[in-house]
Amino acid sequence: MPQVGDLRAKMSSLLEALDKWLCRPITVMEVCGTHTVSIFRSGIRTMLPEGVRLLSGPGCPVCVTDQAEVDAMVRLAKGPGVVLATYGDMVRVPGSCGSLAEARASGAEVAVVSSAIQALALAGSIQDKEIVFAGIGFETTAPATAVLLREARSKNVKNLSVLSLHKLVPPVLRLLASDPMLNIDGFLLPGHVSTIIGTAPYAFLAEEYGKACAVAGFEPLDIMAGIVEIARQICEGRPAVRRLYGRVVRHEGNVKAQELLEEVFRPASVRWRGIGLVEASGLVLANDYSDFDAYSRFGITLEEVSPPAGCRCGDVLAGRITPPECPLFGRSCTPQFPVGPCMVSSEGSCSAYYRYSSKGVSPWGA
Amino acid sequence: MGRLSLGHGSGGRLTNDLIKEIASTFARGSGMLEFEDCALLPGGWGVTIDGFTVSPLSFPGGDIGKLAICGSVNDLAVRGVRPLWLAMSLLAEEGLDEEELFVYMRSAASVCAELGVQLVAGDTKVLPRGEADRLYITTCAMGKNEAISPWGIKEVSPGDAIIVSGPVGRHGAVIASLRYDIKLRELESDCAPLWPLIEPLTRLRGVHAARDCTRGGLGTVLCEWAEGANVGIEIDEEAIPADGDVSAVSDILGFDPLYLACEGTAVFAIASERAETVLETLCSHPIGRSAAVIGKATEAHPGLVGLRTAAGGMRVVDMQGGELLPRIC
Repeated sequence: MPQVGDLRAKMSSLLEALDKWLCRPITVMEVCGTHTVSIFRSGIRTMLPEGVRLLSGPGCPVCVTDQAEVDAMVRLAKGPGVVLATYGDMVRVPGSCGSLAEARASGAEVAVVSSAIQALALAGSIQDKEIVFAGIGFETTAPATAVLLREARSKNVKNLSVLSLHKLVPPVLRLLASDPMLNIDGFLLPGHVSTIIGTAPYAFLAEEYGKACAVAGFEPLDIMAGIVEIARQICEGRPAVRRLYGRVVRHEGNVKAQELLEEVFRPASVRWRGIGLVEASGLVLANDYSDFDAYSRFGITLEEVSPPAGCRCGDVLAGRITPPECPLFGRSCTPQFPVGPCMVSSEGSCSAYYRYSSKGVSPWGA
Repeated sequence: MGRLSLGHGSGGRLTNDLIKEIASTFARGSGMLEFEDCALLPGGWGVTIDGFTVSPLSFPGGDIGKLAICGSVNDLAVRGVRPLWLAMSLLAEEGLDEEELFVYMRSAASVCAELGVQLVAGDTKVLPRGEADRLYITTCAMGKNEAISPWGIKEVSPGDAIIVSGPVGRHGAVIASLRYDIKLRELESDCAPLWPLIEPLTRLRGVHAARDCTRGGLGTVLCEWAEGANVGIEIDEEAIPADGDVSAVSDILGFDPLYLACEGTAVFAIASERAETVLETLCSHPIGRSAAVIGKATEAHPGLVGLRTAAGGMRVVDMQGGELLPRIC
């Protein structure tokens, strides 16, 4: 961790470099919710030159969870003899008939876990109930769910199942890169996800779509360096996928984790909130693990459900509008009374705009 | 009206709204809630009450007994009130180990002895197993106001220096690390009585307001000040005393240390010309040795708190919205 004064000096020199490489106005999408929050928390938007526009992308795992998926979790939690375990961020996301938090207030059993494997301990300590772990997240958290499943199978645990809602990042990026309305020049790619999948799965962004890409970490310096790198690639007209997070991300990623994912899951077409069905963009349990599949154990099918009236989380996630452009933002949708998940999640861009820029009208600029 | 959620107990915006709603049900003349940590009564008396329901009951740096005394007497101290008397109510669950109960009572007693506070009234109830989670304590503390000028939100004025007495978020981070099973050898709750730190300030001019940054943390207190006194507040992240373990827990769990609870750390608004004297006074006490000026109140952007980030940008500090971590104090 650098000294703070030192950090400010380094940021200034990166800003000078950005000035040098910025030869035209550029639009950069930060894909990951952790990036979005770090950008707001460090005030990076207030430091950038006018020619750099940042768009928040679909990389907040809770936010992209489809309404039908939230409804399925709430229905499961309300079921007799079921304890629904999931990550804390999910608890307040409103479904069509309330959130998990509201279900819990009315007597449903909802357990908040910070890692998937805690569901195994729950299954051991509450043997007279069915523990359902709702697996949320991208390639980052899916391996933890895979480990849980492997352990559960080897220990022959009977009262545990997994509702896999995991999603994959590259397929949705292809969708965004090919959208002519968006005009994205470059992608700030998520460091966490890349730690697992490496950089090869992103190559198409540069090769097929000519997008400048930087895989960056989450500290303010990492992010600023990523933006400079994207500006440089654009200025030089040489788009590529550049790995700046080399201290953590290897080119080939984490091969063991990839093998684990392949053993436990298989890709499937799943619905993303507001974006719709994206081919091969989700993970469901592989046949060897079907005994642990909550979909079949509880007979769950995901029907298409309309989002709450007026909620434009989908457009926010796809970068089509910024949060303050949503008619509900800051009016009927606030962190206390959220309508859509982007306002609930600590990684959601609506919540970040609301919290860190005074509902989008910060006197210091957003 | 809906159902109460855990967010209503978070100390943030939802809690504030609920308290205001409750106060409004009392008829004019029979409810005079001051939205301060303690009420100042005619005759120079101060009184406060607080319920404690921390889980786990014991944690590095303290336990529910110590917390139950510190929490109440600190609410007095931050308005310049010397704690003198205490009433305590216990709600215990059937089956609680008596020896354990007395461990907590001894820690409570030792804080009282240190401060010269006398326990003068009490109540004990035992609830059937399952109807309470082991032990809840409520304490009501009373004392004498010794501040030579009034301390309160309304006194916060543009130009005031904002000072904190130590690293923020230690209590919240300890409870979070226990709850999520994150092992940190060094980290202890800051749970401590603030009166010994604050007493010398009661004789100084220029103290406008003080608060202990409990539920909702430093960020929430500053938002309440900015809104309540209609001033702007600008603070510098670089200047806020930080604890490495608190930052680590916050990074792992996605918390912002600005919103993590403290139980022995206070923030002060001090007339700028007196800031240096106050800072020296705080720094001369062991629990205030890393006290620092972190910013100032401004005339500009009333009602808003702005943070100059470590990276050099600016952002708004908003009041904590919902449940961060329930049952921490």
